[in-house]
Amino acid sequence: MAALWGNIDYAAFVVLFCIGLYIIIAKQNLIKKLLGLNIMETAVFAFVVTSGMVDGGTAPIVGPGMSGPFASPLPHAMVLTGIVVAVSITALALCLIIEIYRQCGTLEADELKGAE
Amino acid sequence: MRKSLVAITIAAAAVPMLIGVAGLPRPGDPSAAVHTHVAARYIAEGAHETGADNLVTGVLLNYRGFDTFGEVMIIFAALAAVMAVLPRGATGLPGAGAASGIPISPIVAFIIRLTAPFIAAFGAFVIFKGHVSPGGGFQGGVILGALLMMLSLVLGRGVDRPLIPARSARWLQAAAPLAFFAVGVLGLGLTGAVLGYPAEPGRELLRELMMIFLEIGIGVGGGAIILGLFLETRGE
Repeated sequence: MAALWGNIDYAAFVVLFCIGLYIIIAKQNLIKKLLGLNIMETAVFAFVVTSGMVDGGTAPIVGPGMSGPFASPLPHAMVLTGIVVAVSITALALCLIIEIYRQCGTLEADELKGAE
Repeated sequence: MRKSLVAITIAAAAVPMLIGVAGLPRPGDPSAAVHTHVAARYIAEGAHETGADNLVTGVLLNYRGFDTFGEVMIIFAALAAVMAVLPRGATGLPGAGAASGIPISPIVAFIIRLTAPFIAAFGAFVIFKGHVSPGGGFQGGVILGALLMMLSLVLGRGVDRPLIPARSARWLQAAAPLAFFAVGVLGLGLTGAVLGYPAEPGRELLRELMMIFLEIGIGVGGGAIILGLFLETRGE
């Protein structure tokens, strides 16, 4: 328990991740499911970026007048890649949702089961 | 009943995750693996090896250039998939009102026209200085994309008067993969490795120009793709 309290930042991201997962499973509206997916993505990005933080560190921009310690640049670059992928997923999912609404006239997953 | 079942299941799934994060090194611990593995070398040698003071840009364009190449291909593929899913020429959601039918408030139009040059200058600054200061191609591209989305509300509305003509829009949307292709081939010729950068003294300027070219490609391509996604979902 003491170890978890020391990593309370990470625990908060686990809670955020579970909130997103709950929305995806429990909510029927497709837009809300997509929002839940975005919350999960945000939790993962925050988790990875937080792991790159260092005590008293600054942004990893070296150069004249800058002194360390610097945060690890690798998680930042990875999360930048991840954000672009998340944007792509969101855009494609929104388009599929638009097309589903145009074809079926509803966004509720339980109603879509009946509408073939 | 069903929702409480879902909540209980997810709470049960959270327990192993919480146990897992409890075993991780404390955030900010300088001796954690994330700071002692490759990151230590990136911080010590990155600015010298990549020529980018902003180490995130250095990692993105130089150490992990192939990753970024795949990344721009992903967002380009997302646009292609969106264009394939949504039929051309169909108006947006039924009942949502045609995008070009409702006139925009003159106050909003004036504010958008007033702020547009400053946003464009900020976006260009973020792109061009991305290798030495906070910023980079993707960040500047998002700023440019947001600006283009705003401008598409007041300028060039409708299918027959697009903000960017369709022929040049195709090339702008492919700018990022094309820039990576050009720099990759140039690096192949100069150093014998795809996406290689000349590292010997005296050619730092060429290396910097290659990075700025990549940043411009990513920024312009990203902005054009974001505008394309916006217009596609709006039904134009």
